[in-house]
Amino acid sequence: MENQNLFKNLYLKQFNDSDAIAYSKGFVSNTSDYNFRILDNAYRDTGKAYAKIKMAIDSNNCSSYNCEVELMQLKQLQEAPQVSLDFLSSLVAELSVTEEPNFDPNNNYNFTVANSIMKGRPGFSKTDGYEVYLSLIPDGSQQIAFFGPGFSEPLVINNTSLNSLLEANTSLVVSTPDINKDMLRLLTEVGVFPLEAIGENGELSAGAKISEEYVIMNPDGSFDYEVIDIGNGKGRNVLKYDMDRIKRKINPFISAEVAGLLSSEQRAIAAWNVYISSGVTAEENDQTVENVIPANPWYYETDLPLNQDKKVMFEKKYKEYFMNNYLKQFVTNQLPTVKEDAVVFDMAEYKKAKAQKFIEDNKL
Amino acid sequence: MIGAIIGGVASVASGIIGASAAKKEARRANNEKMALQTKLNTLEKNRQEIINPYAGITDLTGMISNPFANLSVATGAAEMQIQEADISLANTLDTMRATGASAGGATALAQAALKAKKDVSATIEAQEKSNEDKRAQGEQQAQQQKMTEQMRLQGADVAGEQFMFGQREQRQMQELDRTAALLGAAKQNEAQAKSDKTSAITGMFGSLASIAGGTDWS
Repeated sequence: MENQNLFKNLYLKQFNDSDAIAYSKGFVSNTSDYNFRILDNAYRDTGKAYAKIKMAIDSNNCSSYNCEVELMQLKQLQEAPQVSLDFLSSLVAELSVTEEPNFDPNNNYNFTVANSIMKGRPGFSKTDGYEVYLSLIPDGSQQIAFFGPGFSEPLVINNTSLNSLLEANTSLVVSTPDINKDMLRLLTEVGVFPLEAIGENGELSAGAKISEEYVIMNPDGSFDYEVIDIGNGKGRNVLKYDMDRIKRKINPFISAEVAGLLSSEQRAIAAWNVYISSGVTAEENDQTVENVIPANPWYYETDLPLNQDKKVMFEKKYKEYFMNNYLKQFVTNQLPTVKEDAVVFDMAEYKKAKAQKFIEDNKL
Repeated sequence: MIGAIIGGVASVASGIIGASAAKKEARRANNEKMALQTKLNTLEKNRQEIINPYAGITDLTGMISNPFANLSVATGAAEMQIQEADISLANTLDTMRATGASAGGATALAQAALKAKKDVSATIEAQEKSNEDKRAQGEQQAQQQKMTEQMRLQGADVAGEQFMFGQREQRQMQELDRTAALLGAAKQNEAQAKSDKTSAITGMFGSLASIAGGTDWS
């Protein structure tokens, strides 16, 4: 079931993103009717209803005591247009999340279909078999119903349910946090870069380096380099970093960041599915259907609320993701700051000198 | 396109679009605000407690000892001196007997023996006094040296802790300030988005009557 949902969402995304429909002779040669007239249809008979109720009240010809029911119906009708506008604007805001570039395809695909209808995407017209109805319910609430071949069953949403969800800071369709942006910001906050490495825009400046206090030094105060082979018989020194110390330093900041993310568990699941579980950034991902399928997806329907094990796993993988995709570049192949130590040297000579030193040190 | 889908007059549809965009932005700002607030709370909760730099200082009196505390009195020489005096007196007594000395000579001899033993006793007493002085002086020196060393070590510990605390505090405060500033910005964004939403909806009201096919509901 979950995989079907995932594949349908991915298919819809690729269908909407592609230009394939332009090459469909059937689509191009026929007219497409997108005029669902949602409000016109919903309010078609309300004018008459309003007049009938108003006349009954004015002529004291109500069916209820003191016209209580009629007065309530009148009030509902008067408030209905505002309720409709509020409902539709909230709904469109929620559905439009499905168009975000980092949208989690584990969200219910029916919302992607509904958004395609509301945005008049090719292939989702009345002509293609889709219908949308807004209904004014006697209890004063309103509901919208979507029908069509893309739905396994009609998608029905009530405005009071949607409002209560939104007021509880819960989304119908969850927007995935921009982990790339968050982690770039986090880099500047974890305290391993000197203040001068952070620009006025709050981002790391070009050529930013981790503070020297995290670089491994020899007892005599000189740098303890690692030698790397750069090919053609040449080598050069690179700095070695005290990773344990760096991890100890950044851990409290990452934990705070994760706590912030977990303040909305829906968003944490989206971040997990889209970024964290795969362990690679969107830039590294080639965005094919196979590659955007989360390695170990969590499901909104069954995994909420998140249990403690998942929260712990989230923090662990979040740290790994940060270390591997963001911090690693600053602790790998960093050239010495001492100019003389940064020169390229002959590897054979280096090895010979190293062997000689070993012999002398051990009096061999 | 969305206008045709929704129906009604164009201004209503554009109002819905404007309001939905503002609502989306308000939700985004609200999510950001919630996350930042939680982050701020976590940072505040996990801030290191203020340490007492003097908490590590302990009572050092138990560590102080005096190397001269158990000096013994050298009694061997005194005993030898007494023995020599005794031998000398015995020889003198033998001589007196042989020469037929008077009883007065015996008395003088006894007094000489007594004096000799008093001299030995005085030597021991002087030695004991000297030891006592050394003990007191040693006590003072040992106490001073150990206190000086411990104070130096503890001073270094305190300075180290103060330095580390200052560094961590400074950096965490920077992070707290930054998060608090971001939170303020997120709140402002949320308020602006809500204001935009209100404006968009207010703009629609002029056209509401058209929704119901021109019915005047007023």
